[in-house]
Amino acid sequence: MDAVLDNLDTFRQGFITTLALTVVSTVLALVLGTLLAAMRVSPVPTLRAAGATYVEVVRNTPLTLVFFFAVFVLPQLDIRLSFFVFAVIAVTVYHAAFFCEAVRSGINAVGVGQAEAARSIGLTFTQSMRLVVLPQAFRTVVPPLINVVIALTKNTSIAAAFGVVELTAVATRLANANSDAVIAIFLGSAVCYLALTLPSGWLAGRLERRVAVAR
Amino acid sequence: MAAGSPLLQMERVNKHFGDLHVLQDVDLEVDPGEVVVVVGPSGSGKSTLCRTINRLEPIDDGVIRLEGRPLPDEGRALARLRSDVGMVFQQFNLFAHKSVLDNVTLGPIKVRGQSRSEAERRARELLARVGVENQAHKLPAQLSGGQQQRVAIARALAMDPKLLLFDEPTSALDPEMINEVLDVMRDLAAAGMTMIVISHEMGFARSAANRVVFMDGGRILEAAPPEEFFASPRTERAKDFLSKIISH
Amino acid sequence: MRIGRWMRLAGTVLVLTLAAAACGGDDEGGDGGQVNEGASFAEGTTMARLQQEGAVTIGTKFDQPLFGLKNLEGKPEGFDVEIGKLIAGELGIAEDKITWVESVSANREPFIQQDKVDFVVATYTINDKRKEVVDFAGPYYEAGQDIMVAKGNPEGIGGPDDLAGKKVCSVTGSTPAENIRTNYPDADLTEFDVYSKCAEALKNGQVQAVTTDNVILLGLISQDEESFELVGEPFTKEPYGIGVKKGDTEFRNFINDTLQKAYDDGRWLAAWDATAGKVAPEKPTPPTIDRY
Repeated sequence: MDAVLDNLDTFRQGFITTLALTVVSTVLALVLGTLLAAMRVSPVPTLRAAGATYVEVVRNTPLTLVFFFAVFVLPQLDIRLSFFVFAVIAVTVYHAAFFCEAVRSGINAVGVGQAEAARSIGLTFTQSMRLVVLPQAFRTVVPPLINVVIALTKNTSIAAAFGVVELTAVATRLANANSDAVIAIFLGSAVCYLALTLPSGWLAGRLERRVAVAR
Repeated sequence: MAAGSPLLQMERVNKHFGDLHVLQDVDLEVDPGEVVVVVGPSGSGKSTLCRTINRLEPIDDGVIRLEGRPLPDEGRALARLRSDVGMVFQQFNLFAHKSVLDNVTLGPIKVRGQSRSEAERRARELLARVGVENQAHKLPAQLSGGQQQRVAIARALAMDPKLLLFDEPTSALDPEMINEVLDVMRDLAAAGMTMIVISHEMGFARSAANRVVFMDGGRILEAAPPEEFFASPRTERAKDFLSKIISH
Repeated sequence: MRIGRWMRLAGTVLVLTLAAAACGGDDEGGDGGQVNEGASFAEGTTMARLQQEGAVTIGTKFDQPLFGLKNLEGKPEGFDVEIGKLIAGELGIAEDKITWVESVSANREPFIQQDKVDFVVATYTINDKRKEVVDFAGPYYEAGQDIMVAKGNPEGIGGPDDLAGKKVCSVTGSTPAENIRTNYPDADLTEFDVYSKCAEALKNGQVQAVTTDNVILLGLISQDEESFELVGEPFTKEPYGIGVKKGDTEFRNFINDTLQKAYDDGRWLAAWDATAGKVAPEKPTPPTIDRY
């Protein structure tokens, strides 16, 4: 336990890095995922195919490989960014596929009549998505979206293996330095992850209740 | 556009759903101010016909012209065309997450670029015209079916359409609500709105239509003024269809 | 007393199981090195027993390039393996009578204590903590933390003090990483989970240096000599020893004598040249043997 308390500041820095990685990636992945979902239901066949290909390729690639591509292949194309930014790219690209599928299931749950009515008053495809379909779709997919957010939070730990000093990297380092307190240190990092994921679950519950009232 | 030329022209329109030939060489012309009621047994293709006119269903072959211009492909031009062709659905399809008032103002604000106050003033006028002005701030789910369908008509009217399509507008309604919707439609017809109505309401066809079109098996078999069609249908199938409707 | 009997029985079963596992290692053929046919040892010593049996079991690493790395035919090769053969040869045991057992860092002490191996040559750093449970002959090589840079050393890094302001890569939580963090705080430390990623980052120019034991760095260089090179002298001391059973002083002395002989007649240097010497920038001098 002392090993944890003595290194609270190091833990705090790791926690902040994990938090930043989680929040930035969640926002970007949700935006990208929603765009992909819109592509997948669009009337343009090329967009539909591109969206489907993205999802199938990314969803079936291990996250570690996505990280590897981001961290070691992008630099060979002369894209030079910090390891944190590369981690944001990897986490975003990967989880956008999962957000896409969650949002798409929500879009499919919104009756086709809603989209037809939107288009029949002259809204463009983008407008009918933004103004009519997506606002309704998001209400039905709060629980699956939160699932993806929780998975994303935990998956940021892969960044530890790719040059980002986040929670897991900090725990690994402290564990190596304090071989007598390994369990306490990893329990400490588990508590930190819970501090991130539990509020997500709680928020999901609240949102679900609110949506239930609005219906 | 020359005076007297048709608002809508359909020429040799064909449409398949897989192996099913749902529209076969359909020809139809509708003049400005005309009210056309399309009747026929279910599965005859009349709903599909209606949905091809604002390209909710693309066609395989033939040509559809509105004011002399062929329907555009997907994109902004198609959205512009749809803004001029109102549509009322069997299931109302009001935007479930928006209030009645917002349902009516969405198109004028986002498509026509009207100010919110202008759009709301006009929306309240239209809601009053269809008799639901005191429901403006409710959500669609809080309204009865008849009220929802009248809101849907107000929503279509808010775009000042050149042509209004009604796809079985009373089929999903409880019987006691059918007339409140048909009354609104009669008023519109009397006011000179160009309308194409897919309907089983023969009373409405008799009283409001300029012309009745009878469809069966994907083809238009007859087109005549209502008094002529109901009194002396020319085809056996139309006779058969009418005898079943009346025996109900 | 019943419990005592059961405990003894369980202990016997355990020992038998472990012994069986130790014997399960595969015998490997060899092309025959220098074998001392005429060696003679005092009755009751480990040397006499091994000579009698005509076979020996040696623990080494199977995944450390240039020191102990299993080749495609399944035989380990490298400097540690050559040292192992050299000692076996002095016992009159030919290469094909050596059984190689993979010894990762965590199982070296248990293997020696449980007689699963006769001795261990496995990049095994001598330290006081380990001396409490095993004895060490040697050192036969002095490794140390060193720095690897891109070929041609474009940043002009000559030692750890030149790392200030430079991005330097190591493995998360490793001793070399902590050494940099503590003693060279001006260096910009980047940590990955494995050294191969550090090498990739160095190749991409995302870091300017990689630091860890020179032995590991030499292994990385051996896999891509076009891209990397070692700079300067090791700046920590990691004496590699040969682990034997605690208290077997005769065996330890024999191995020390054998090492000294190999230093003197050039076989030690030949073993180096044939393995790590292929990529190491400088020839090492044999370290002084610590006959404690």
